[in-house]
Amino acid sequence: MPDVSVTIDGTQINVPVGTNVVDAARLAGVAVPVFCYHPKMKPVGMCRMCLVEVYTPKVDPATRQVVMGEDGKPVLALMMNKLQTGCTTPISEGMVVNTASDRVKFAQKGVLEFLLTSHPLDCPVCDKGGECPLQNLTMQWGPDSSRFDYEDKIHFEKPIPLGDLILLDRERCILCSRCVRFEDELADDNVLGFGSRGRSWEIISKSTPAFDSKFSGNTTDICPVGALTSSDFRFKARVWELKSTPSVCNLCPVGCNTSLDMRYNELMRVMPRENDAVNEIWVCDKGRYGHRYAVQENRLTTPLIKRNGEFVSATWEQAYSLIAERLGSYSGAQVAGLAGPKLPNEDLFSFARLFRENLGSNNLDHRPGSPADLPLDDLPRTYGVGKGTNLMTLGKGTAVLVIGADPEEEAPLYQLRLRAIAQRGGDLTVVSGYPTKLERSATRKVRVKPGTEAQFALALVQAVAAEKLASEEVLGSGRLKFSDEYRRVLAAHKFDDLVAATGLAREVVITTAKAFASAEHGIIVYGRSAAADPAIPQALAAFAALTGKLGKANSGLIALRPGGNFRGALDMGVRPDAAGQPGLSAQQVWQQAGTGVKAVYIAALNPAAENPAAAQALQKLDFVVVQDLFLTETAQYADVVLPAAAVIEREGTFTNAERREQRFRQARQAPANLPADWQSFQAVAQLLAERAPVAVAARTLKKGAKVFTPEAPQGWTAMLTSDVNDMVTRSVSGYNAASYSALSTSRGAWGRQPNEAVYYDGTSYENTEGVGIQIAASAEDSRTTLQLNLSAPALRPVGELVLLPVARAYDGGDWVRGSKLSARQVPAHIIMSVADTARLDVGIGELVTVSSAAGSITLPVQIETGLDLGVALLPEVRGSTLGALLTGAQTAITVVKA
Amino acid sequence: MIGSLFKGLGTTLKYLFKKPVTVEYPEVKRPVRERFRGRHQLKRFENGMERCIGCALCAAACPADAILVVAAENDPHKPNSPGERYAARYEINMLRCIYCGYCEDACPTNAIVLEHQYELSFYERAGSIFTKTELLVAPDQGHGEIPPILQHMNRRPSPPAQIDL
Ligand code: SF4
Ligand code: SF4
Ligand code: SF4
Ligand code: SF4
Ligand code: FES
Repeated sequence: MPDVSVTIDGTQINVPVGTNVVDAARLAGVAVPVFCYHPKMKPVGMCRMCLVEVYTPKVDPATRQVVMGEDGKPVLALMMNKLQTGCTTPISEGMVVNTASDRVKFAQKGVLEFLLTSHPLDCPVCDKGGECPLQNLTMQWGPDSSRFDYEDKIHFEKPIPLGDLILLDRERCILCSRCVRFEDELADDNVLGFGSRGRSWEIISKSTPAFDSKFSGNTTDICPVGALTSSDFRFKARVWELKSTPSVCNLCPVGCNTSLDMRYNELMRVMPRENDAVNEIWVCDKGRYGHRYAVQENRLTTPLIKRNGEFVSATWEQAYSLIAERLGSYSGAQVAGLAGPKLPNEDLFSFARLFRENLGSNNLDHRPGSPADLPLDDLPRTYGVGKGTNLMTLGKGTAVLVIGADPEEEAPLYQLRLRAIAQRGGDLTVVSGYPTKLERSATRKVRVKPGTEAQFALALVQAVAAEKLASEEVLGSGRLKFSDEYRRVLAAHKFDDLVAATGLAREVVITTAKAFASAEHGIIVYGRSAAADPAIPQALAAFAALTGKLGKANSGLIALRPGGNFRGALDMGVRPDAAGQPGLSAQQVWQQAGTGVKAVYIAALNPAAENPAAAQALQKLDFVVVQDLFLTETAQYADVVLPAAAVIEREGTFTNAERREQRFRQARQAPANLPADWQSFQAVAQLLAERAPVAVAARTLKKGAKVFTPEAPQGWTAMLTSDVNDMVTRSVSGYNAASYSALSTSRGAWGRQPNEAVYYDGTSYENTEGVGIQIAASAEDSRTTLQLNLSAPALRPVGELVLLPVARAYDGGDWVRGSKLSARQVPAHIIMSVADTARLDVGIGELVTVSSAAGSITLPVQIETGLDLGVALLPEVRGSTLGALLTGAQTAITVVKA
Repeated sequence: MIGSLFKGLGTTLKYLFKKPVTVEYPEVKRPVRERFRGRHQLKRFENGMERCIGCALCAAACPADAILVVAAENDPHKPNSPGERYAARYEINMLRCIYCGYCEDACPTNAIVLEHQYELSFYERAGSIFTKTELLVAPDQGHGEIPPILQHMNRRPSPPAQIDL
């Protein structure tokens, strides 16, 4: 973009065309006070706080030439002959801005004096007090007294609930509309608006349930006064009493940077911490309200051993030695380990070592072993977005293809970030078989027949050949190798047949492929529905590779899978297919329970809650260890239960969907000094090693081996979590640069201004404790050859209806304990089309019995108007017992009225 | 030499017949000055409502970190204090306190006042922590009206920004 030169308070500076005066001043180191303007949103000029003097060079109307004065400089004229709002005035060449003249000061004082006439001035009880822009701006720019009658203030009833999470104090609201604009522009939830007129003008919620947005908490951050307060922080503490600890949310694979605000040893609130490349300055409500589980009273605090069917408390020594003794008495093939994808990398790494090195077992998995499990997919390790990817910088020239994903439900922040790319001029294609919210923001909304995403993806690969869209550079490099299966599948699936199966017009597929291939950056985001059929990720990887969207920043795949640290679980080797000798997957473990498998160690997973088959299998096992925060459904079947420290009580790292490893710190002392999960794994491993020192055969690492292989045994001598991290950096490929100190480096990201308080008081915390490190995709090494493969799409089952499982953000999982969001959790239900429900004669909320070859369940019905005939969606939430129904990626079902 | 000895003895002799300045403490107690800063009291309004609104400004002002305030939300039907907020816990550690009176200055409602009680000794350290029950004056000991601005109908009164002093 061309730069224009302007002078602000005597400082000359070049800024890009289109910058407004407030932002330009910020670049020049001058603070212009603002209330309604927020750099993440379009300016509206509602508050008049940013008034400045703007002079432009005088232009002779006749000649259209700048008039020159006698001193040879352009003659300046005050724009419109009055003060201008800086936030709505774009910079132009030769502009001179004065932000500190008497006239400006007079205006600023006036604006503040007026704002304060209707303000209750109840700072002593206001939750914003101490981080309130109105307080700060008044101190810096305001008048020292008011000429208005203090008694004559407008009064409203004190807080009214705007929703169940956010309360509104109308007296304090300065009607800047930041909250309304955030919801409309950024979150695309048209839930807030203005009501009434004049002095009763107020913010209202327009939705039922009230303030129905998954991002509502962010409005309390950007509200420049204490008008919006969060129900889970009201009056808990004054902000200056809080101690902020940098943390990372692990409730979904976005990995938002958060700040845990503690008072003494108690969690007071969770706030976003700025990280441009991850969450900008936002978090979703799940991240903000969903971390209270760790501070519940019913946490486990001592190890339990089952004696005669009853759990009795035991010492740690007793528990560890019993575990080591029992696990050590089986052969490697007889034991299995399941560790949840919400655990930090250090724990997953130690868990994998415990099994592979000390128990000689490859039966490892991070999935719960339900039929709803997604097949393993590690293509983003190779074809994932490259190092240096930053979605915030993308706009024009970027094509994003979202397929088989509902980002708001699977990884909420992607809703904001992908929508923002489209708003900045990027090309956003959303391909889905059912309605998703992101569709509304798409440049191209592509609704395929439900369950035909695989055909669509293959059609894209075909389109590359048909339309000659392949990147010369990639083809010329000779890096791409095509398997026989690849050719066979392409030959067997003709473009027209594929397109016909999706129910789309040819042109739609071709324009999508062309838009993607011709863009400078191309990103493919695929989620739950796409990952259910391995053919889809393969085809997407081939499409990205052929069009040259691989191995570089801002191009490649992003997979959204369940579990905040699923990426870490794959990288750390908690997967059955690693190290060349495949082990049993979780599903196979349950099938072979009692026969092949005798003992299972389960950490941070609760398979019995959702999957009746797992609960039965657990009973057949000789020995079960469960390590968790609570006495879960699964723990009921355990022989030994070990408690563990929660995320907020320890430190560690998570790797997010874009393979960015990020570090979180300890915020709180664990109750009863509980050890972190890895410490328990290490204690068991030490005892096992004492019993039978493992003779580890020297293993040679294949060059460029795709799967995780520990470099060498490193003993079990870690004292701190950072010692485990050292081992990770030494032995996990790609992680060698990700030491704790490197993870803790942060950069001043997006041009904060000298007086940062002017914009961001009480909002997102500045990131001073590390923005993380992105792990390079293996395609970034130009020497790697890339083996492309394809497989035939899963057969669409024949049946009255086809059932597709879909993800939900509010899934009722264990994280809900103690959260204000518990009322928002959706109970299990089935979603059907208008036509199907009419045929069955069932209405909303009525019960139906759903049967498949695997079993049957009874659920209430929800109707989705946008859904096609012949498909039913089953949200994956607590109580849906999906496992009892599913037979594959898509399941044929029959539905009858119950 | 001898002269100065007698001079000293003379002074002693002089004081022998004067009224002593010391008092027989603790039987006799000398009144303290009006602005003496002794043990704190939490005051009430005339109508018995607590003046303290749990703002924790006293705790923020305290140079000795002697005050702990944990606030909570008032029950609108049975408020403890005017406004939405009150102090659910209010504690002062008298061993930490240096009786500087900063808390009194910081308080927007004149709730915390350093009064004249100075007999502060304890058998154990825990006894030096005065809780709200000990600090709060009796309900009939209140003074001052809640200002009219805070007594609106149909709304919970705002906490006092400008209150009688
Ligand atoms: S509630 Fe806050 S953000 Fe919304 S209009 Fe009022 S002052 Fe602005
Ligand atoms: S988007 Fe995901 S990572 Fe971010 S706060 Fe929400 S649940 Fe946590
Ligand atoms: S008198 Fe001074 S030291 Fe004592 S509690 Fe008040 S502010 Fe703290
Ligand atoms: S005593 Fe005064 S300053 Fe302290 S919390 Fe109560 S109202 Fe606030
Ligand atoms: S009018 Fe410019 S910041 Fe509000």
